[in-house]
Amino acid sequence: MTLKTPHPHPGRCIVSLCCTLLVLFAAFGPSLSVAESPKKETVVYGGSTWLGHYPVWVGMKKGYFEQKGLDISFKQFHASSARMGSLLAGDLDFASTGSISALALMAYGVHSFYVVATQDSYATVEGIIATKDISDIRDLKGKKIAVTFASSSHVLVLDALESEGLDPGRDVSLINLKVSEMPAAFRSGEVDACGVWTPFFNRLLAVEGAHTLMDDTAFSLYRSHEIGPGPDLLVVSKKMPERRPETTKAFLEAYFQSVDFLISDPEESAALLVDLTGLNLEDQAAVLKDVKWNDLKKQQRMLVNPGAFAGGLQQLASFLEKHGQIDRAPHVKDWLRPDLLP
Amino acid sequence: MITPMHKSPRYLLISAVSFVCMVLLWEAICRLGLIEPVFLPSPSRVLLRAIALQERGELLIHILASCRRVMVGFLAAALAAVPFGIFLGTSRLFLSIFDPVISLLRPLPSMSWIPLSLLWLGISETQKYSIVFMGSFAPSLLYVIEATKSVDPVLVRAAQNLGAGRADVMREVILPGALPQIIAGLKVMLGIAWTCVISAELVAASNGLGFMIMNGKEYFQTDTVMLGMVLISLTVMIIDAVFKRIERKVLPWMS
Repeated sequence: MTLKTPHPHPGRCIVSLCCTLLVLFAAFGPSLSVAESPKKETVVYGGSTWLGHYPVWVGMKKGYFEQKGLDISFKQFHASSARMGSLLAGDLDFASTGSISALALMAYGVHSFYVVATQDSYATVEGIIATKDISDIRDLKGKKIAVTFASSSHVLVLDALESEGLDPGRDVSLINLKVSEMPAAFRSGEVDACGVWTPFFNRLLAVEGAHTLMDDTAFSLYRSHEIGPGPDLLVVSKKMPERRPETTKAFLEAYFQSVDFLISDPEESAALLVDLTGLNLEDQAAVLKDVKWNDLKKQQRMLVNPGAFAGGLQQLASFLEKHGQIDRAPHVKDWLRPDLLP
Repeated sequence: MITPMHKSPRYLLISAVSFVCMVLLWEAICRLGLIEPVFLPSPSRVLLRAIALQERGELLIHILASCRRVMVGFLAAALAAVPFGIFLGTSRLFLSIFDPVISLLRPLPSMSWIPLSLLWLGISETQKYSIVFMGSFAPSLLYVIEATKSVDPVLVRAAQNLGAGRADVMREVILPGALPQIIAGLKVMLGIAWTCVISAELVAASNGLGFMIMNGKEYFQTDTVMLGMVLISLTVMIIDAVFKRIERKVLPWMS
């Protein structure tokens, strides 16, 4: 039988433990001596590398938000749904989102956010790219089409098929694929066409034999309301204008200052954006060339209700309902708040 | 069911009552508006979603698509793992040869195979089977090796002393000795194969319960998400019950 011997130096053991804890606290704990500096209002923004977030990134780099006394915490999300989920959970103050996620939340009766702007239009760099033997939408019958489900391209493909009397469930085979995975599938011949957006739109076009079958300008609501299949929306948490109205105003002022800079100096903007997107300068400049920015004056005209954009967004909601993407079309005007614009 | 202890009618009644109470409480919390439906949909809302999907003819398609992927991937993994595992379990030399590879493969989650499987197999159904296969194979193999190694060596030596050849020892001693543990391991792996199918249906899938959950998430249809989760649980329970019946047929002495 062996007897357990007590630790020979329990005091030393406690000292070691305390030292270890102190070292860990110094390394990971909060700083004990914080230098006094002018207090800035922190605004948490939900973004990604997508072009809809360029104004915030450029504004951060140019110091527009800082000049307004704001400290932007830029959080990256891979999808609009994840970003909107975080906004819903109260973790974000502002975010930009594809309108489909926003409409889906509206359809569920969620009133915890407002739409304050639609900052960009990228109608010529989103579309359907097909092999050379497909020259018409009707030629898609019996073909495999790659789309990212629940995306603007998905809506575009559904609209295109419907306009030519094709049934998405019977006449074609829709394959749910991320845009980043489309070039490989297209090259290998596993799919005949892709619903895709920039920068993969341009990459797919570079594949031999690929051509643009249609872009967003052929989308039915674009022709009637100048609205793409999933316009970007700038949304704000409902709590922001209620509890921090000055911060909300300051954010939006800096935001549109940044939009103006994107319009006036795309070259410098491209150089600032490569850190965000990881694209080379040439590709970044090419992406910017295809984007149309909506400045503050245009916003105030676009978001009024009744108006073309508000009407178009309502039509888009009805389209999603018709195709079973959402249960019921919400009254979009209840979420539009152009009055918050500075 | 957690344990077979609950088989008596009294315990079955307790389980049934507790389940009904839980569902009623959940429904009440949702109906009273204590939690927004987008965060927690009520059971009735989940049921209505199931009815709507069934009416559109989608529900069964999703269930069958996932079942097919799980069964093909899992059966392929089991068919490869059982003989190979028994072989490795009885041969120290080959076990030491393959051990480093198995040790490297074992901790890899099924999701990590997605990029390579897409390059190797494209966006076909085979790619989805392969995700389930890769997620189930290495752990199944380990179960089989351990089950084989656990057979009492005294029994093996006794059989050999009585003049049994290698095939006889395998058929009369090792297989009957290892089979209960192998079957128990495969039952655990079948549950794990269901987690793999969710990964498999993340890419290039237009049906299946994993797809249903992920697509519901994109549209904030938490009732669809919840329905997918419930259906996975129910399907696994049904398959588990079928497995138990097979087990009773194959291993009557175990019951």
